[in-house]
Amino acid sequence: MMNKRVRLTFPQHLIKEPVIFTMAKKYDVMPNIRRARVTETVGEMVLELQGTEENLAKGIQSLRDQGINVELVEGDIIE
Amino acid sequence: MGYVKGMKCIECGREYSISPIYVCEFCFGPVDIVYDYKGIKKVLTKKKIEKRGGNLWRYRELLPIDGDPQAGLNSGFTPLLKADKLARELGVTALFIKDDSAIHPSLSFKDRVVAVALTKAKEFGFDTAACASTGNLAHSVSAQGARAGLTRFIFIPASLEQTKIVASLAYEPNLIAVDGNYDDVNRLCSEIVSRYKWAFVNINIRPFYSEGSKTHGFEIVEQLGWNAPDNVVVPCASGSLLSKIWKGFNEFRNIGFIKELKSKVFAAQATACCPISTAIKQDSDIIRPVKPDPHTISKSLAIGNPAEGYEALNAVKASGGYGDDVSDGEIIDAMKLLARTEGIFTETAGGVTLAVTRKLIENGKIGRDEVTVICITGNGLKTQEALYSKTASPHYIKPTMASFEEMLGEIKDGDAVSIIPAVAGDKKRRR
Repeated sequence: MMNKRVRLTFPQHLIKEPVIFTMAKKYDVMPNIRRARVTETVGEMVLELQGTEENLAKGIQSLRDQGINVELVEGDIIE
Repeated sequence: MGYVKGMKCIECGREYSISPIYVCEFCFGPVDIVYDYKGIKKVLTKKKIEKRGGNLWRYRELLPIDGDPQAGLNSGFTPLLKADKLARELGVTALFIKDDSAIHPSLSFKDRVVAVALTKAKEFGFDTAACASTGNLAHSVSAQGARAGLTRFIFIPASLEQTKIVASLAYEPNLIAVDGNYDDVNRLCSEIVSRYKWAFVNINIRPFYSEGSKTHGFEIVEQLGWNAPDNVVVPCASGSLLSKIWKGFNEFRNIGFIKELKSKVFAAQATACCPISTAIKQDSDIIRPVKPDPHTISKSLAIGNPAEGYEALNAVKASGGYGDDVSDGEIIDAMKLLARTEGIFTETAGGVTLAVTRKLIENGKIGRDEVTVICITGNGLKTQEALYSKTASPHYIKPTMASFEEMLGEIKDGDAVSIIPAVAGDKKRRR
């Protein structure tokens, strides 16, 4: 099992969809939400995901496939 | 003795004692350094600073170290130039260049942040400094880490051009070329930092590292005779330089060095990667990460998921500033303009800052009779390839006077032909 701390940015059409729950159930990933905010046009959520390395990779890819931006909470490290 | 009280999460306000942490354990928000400003106000005076050496440690009470500086002892206190020729070109009255293209030892403002990061790393007891970088940060960690006696690990994407590697390899760090793209390097480094007790300057040392950027702002105020300018235009990659210049201005106000703070802070980005200026222009509270255009010439600013983007956004809003972005063509024009008018050859990021300044003046965001400072953060010798085939050509001649004078006749520029009547003077001297 491993943990990943990520920041998700949702496009407008996905703000009302249960994408985190669906991903968590499908890939056996445990989400632990720490922070979130939503505006009229965009949503942002900071959370920790726990699961096997393979399931985490699949779960994150499924979020990306739906159009959600998944980034590390520490930001881009290459400067 | 230092004047640091502790660390505090910017998002939820949770407080921490000083340690190499970089996000809040509760809300994963960024943490900031908190100082004892009352204590600093009692001991630090403008006169005391003015008597100190010409380097960034002249503001040491406002930097997050406990003991003596251990790196970057000659970094900082770079020139603030009054740029009258450039001011005339842009149609403004009072323009200044804060010129970090001349900073010791590696010619970019990263020398400021790395000086603080490595000093703090040594205080924490680390013996290895690391970073992931495609340019300036790698050069600075490689150079300053060598002098500070630290083992150095530099991570780069394996596809990085040879020219960018050489300036780091000269200092003989352990240069790790990762077989993957930028995202892969980002992910790998964030995993390494949790497993190895290394000082990753912009990950686990980031809260201390970014404090070094304040000195760029401190120097601007001191060099303007202890006055904050009306406007400061700052290039944004991670956003930390901008947010820390603003923090520095506020600290000077807190300790009474400046009476009031009316400065506006402006963010400059390249259109190829502009998550911060986009959020400013859209008046959004959320910064959408972007994938940078891989072909942009301003690679040093191409950070799609800026670590301190929110702090930069908040600083711009709090100051009443704005943000804008410019194309590669505008960046090149600005680099050449700065070199032609003020004799400063800046890297592409400097071109971004000047081009955005020009735009902000033209659209009225910056007043033509206000005092404006443009932050130039790196040296053009590092990104010469950006100007390949974009500069004027040499005048090719044969090694004869006839060929030389034929060429001279073709040059229409007044400056270039003013050398002709030197022969009479020569004869006089011989008598």
